[in-house]
Amino acid sequence: MKIDFPHRQFAHCESGVTANLFNYHGLPCSEAMAFGIGAGLFFAYAPFIKINFLPLTTYRTAPGSIFKKTTRRLGIKVARRKYRDPKVAEAELDQLLQSGRPVGAQTGVFWLPFFPPAYRFHFNGHNLIVIGKEGDDYLISDPIFEETVRCSAADLLKARFAKGALAPKGKIYSIEKMPERVDLPEAIEAGIREVCRTMLKTPLPMVGVRGIRLLARQLAKWPEKLGEKQTILHLGHVIRMQEEIGTGGGGFRFIYAAFLQEAAEVLQNDKLIGLSQRCTEVGDLWRDFALTASRVCKGRETVQDSFDGLAAQLYQCADREEALFTDLRAAIGR
Amino acid sequence: MENKLEQELIALISDLCNIEDIVLAEVPFDAPLIGPESPLGLDSLDAVELVVAVQKNYGVRIGGKSSSREVLQSIATLADFIRSKQNATA
Repeated sequence: MKIDFPHRQFAHCESGVTANLFNYHGLPCSEAMAFGIGAGLFFAYAPFIKINFLPLTTYRTAPGSIFKKTTRRLGIKVARRKYRDPKVAEAELDQLLQSGRPVGAQTGVFWLPFFPPAYRFHFNGHNLIVIGKEGDDYLISDPIFEETVRCSAADLLKARFAKGALAPKGKIYSIEKMPERVDLPEAIEAGIREVCRTMLKTPLPMVGVRGIRLLARQLAKWPEKLGEKQTILHLGHVIRMQEEIGTGGGGFRFIYAAFLQEAAEVLQNDKLIGLSQRCTEVGDLWRDFALTASRVCKGRETVQDSFDGLAAQLYQCADREEALFTDLRAAIGR
Repeated sequence: MENKLEQELIALISDLCNIEDIVLAEVPFDAPLIGPESPLGLDSLDAVELVVAVQKNYGVRIGGKSSSREVLQSIATLADFIRSKQNATA
């Protein structure tokens, strides 16, 4: 059986899954809009949390939170499940599909055979939508692919129960009921307010613009503290988290800029158009940082001379983001 | 000249990523650009450099709604993307 599901390709998985599910249930929504309402933009540098044995740097909120916040803000009723037993997890997924409901799932990218080898890294926060089953194959709408894909039941189960950081534990989710009326402006404003609060006011030194400055301070000391080999590994990890999730190197800033542009129209607020442009410029600064960092990793620039420069680029990103989110908060009011 | 942009892009990548031991004229335009199957041997860090170089050289931004993953599948997809963006603004 296959659900007649309109598949659309997007840059980022969870925002894409959210937008595609909303669209299926009759609420037209872009990826950028889902990302913005779900307050997906974020920054944290947490050296005590390890991903692949390296410190966590993230440019977006935790997997699942965009969907959770977007549905909550729009008044959409959702069912979520996690499992201990893979057999039960598979049986319940089949049951939901039989009832004609597309089902979102969190998975580990490494175990999904339809991913090209270059992109199969150990990241357990990848979201996709299961839209049917034919024989032993699931039919999948994965928003980062142009067309729908197939995946054997055994492989999907492995991906749903991938071990390690952010282990999905078989997590699935589906939309149970759409609201009769949606307050889009209110949801947009709530999403913007949250991002401004997180980036500017979180009382933790590793989050928001303070987190960017913490990374800058620590990164400048890496060559001396870690030695060349570990320094390159650490730096490569920082930019892989920025680049490999389909953001084009802007660490999700380009997607947020697209959201602000759409928000300007919905809220009839022209100030957001200028702020969208500034957000794109911040994305360019992140991309410049990624460029320098990748040249260092590839041995095309000398390690010792480059780290002060890299730290300076990060301080610049932090300063520009601080100014951007301060002005964005003022533009929205309250 | 036919495929001028594709040839330009291969020369750009060769220069950018210090590729020395490959006969550039023999690289198929539809071969994978990034990853273990790439005849140019590019990885995701090279992709970062390429995205920025394309923006600087051709004034075309890859990112946001146009996923770098999709655009950087091969020299052919990258060239098509640049041409489509340039035609759209012409």
